[in-house]
Amino acid sequence: MTSARSISPRGSEIAVGDELPPFVLPVTSTVIVAGAIASRDFMPAHHDPEFARAQGAPDMFMNILTTNGYVARFITDWAGPEAMVRSIKIRLGAPAIPGQPLRFSGQVTRTSQQGNECAIEVAVRAANDLGDHATGTVVVSLPLA
Amino acid sequence: MAEMAGDAVRESLEKYVGKPMGPALVAPDPVNVPMIRHWVAALDDRNPVYLDEAFAKMTRHGGLVAPPTMLQVWSMPSPKIEGIAERGGSPVEMSGDNVVRALDAAGFTGTLATNSELDFVRYLRPGDRLHTSTELESISNRKTTALGQGYFITWVTTYRDADGEVVGRQLFRILKFDPSTIGVAR
Repeated sequence: MTSARSISPRGSEIAVGDELPPFVLPVTSTVIVAGAIASRDFMPAHHDPEFARAQGAPDMFMNILTTNGYVARFITDWAGPEAMVRSIKIRLGAPAIPGQPLRFSGQVTRTSQQGNECAIEVAVRAANDLGDHATGTVVVSLPLA
Repeated sequence: MAEMAGDAVRESLEKYVGKPMGPALVAPDPVNVPMIRHWVAALDDRNPVYLDEAFAKMTRHGGLVAPPTMLQVWSMPSPKIEGIAERGGSPVEMSGDNVVRALDAAGFTGTLATNSELDFVRYLRPGDRLHTSTELESISNRKTTALGQGYFITWVTTYRDADGEVVGRQLFRILKFDPSTIGVAR
């Protein structure tokens, strides 16, 4: 587990090509159920393995709200408490299921100054052994200085 | 991915495009610290601006804020647990005319979420009460996918605060497919 930093970098310190510290989430049944219930998503596929298998999934799987929550956490663990996440745009792929750790990686693809803050675009990927669970783009802003 | 030009099913769905998908909703509860605490613990998110008020006040947030991806959480309807499996896992009883039900009835019973695009206009604070409205943005032509033939359905939910100001948006895309057509060429 990575831990959140308590001080944000300055926007001016971020450069295109910067890699985010990688993060591996050990996905367990508990992780999936905890996220589903905290997001008030009671669909059985997110807590009932038999129901999920009957629908053709390999096991119960993480809901999208939780995936988005971990993507945001991955970004703000790096960008710190001054960060404001502006957008998260992801394509959904392989399911996140128990026993398959999710590997998060990210790289800065663009930065632009907007007033006294810096908008930073990050290409993100969360993958397991089944393939890409989520890939896409996050835009986060930080104070310039 | 092969694509078919207009077909009868697609034409029957045109009436849903650009229309609301159900009534506008008011979140059952305002943005609140207990639900934020539950979420933060579940995702082990240590960002101090969500629960440490003294810390949050020193940041540009100026006080506690909700995790941005909780946007959709605030508007989730209270689930009806009884009978959930019999309803195919739907936590709410679906009623009324709706594109998803129309596709189910036409044999396109499979559902696969393919895209989520969240825009956060501003961070939410405890006390914010959200209003949501959802509009069907588009329906693709029939496509042949690895899961069978189906249609991509895209809708956009707009989240507003009590003053009617937009605080966020979510675009969501699903594939509704007919599982019996897997491997069938067109």
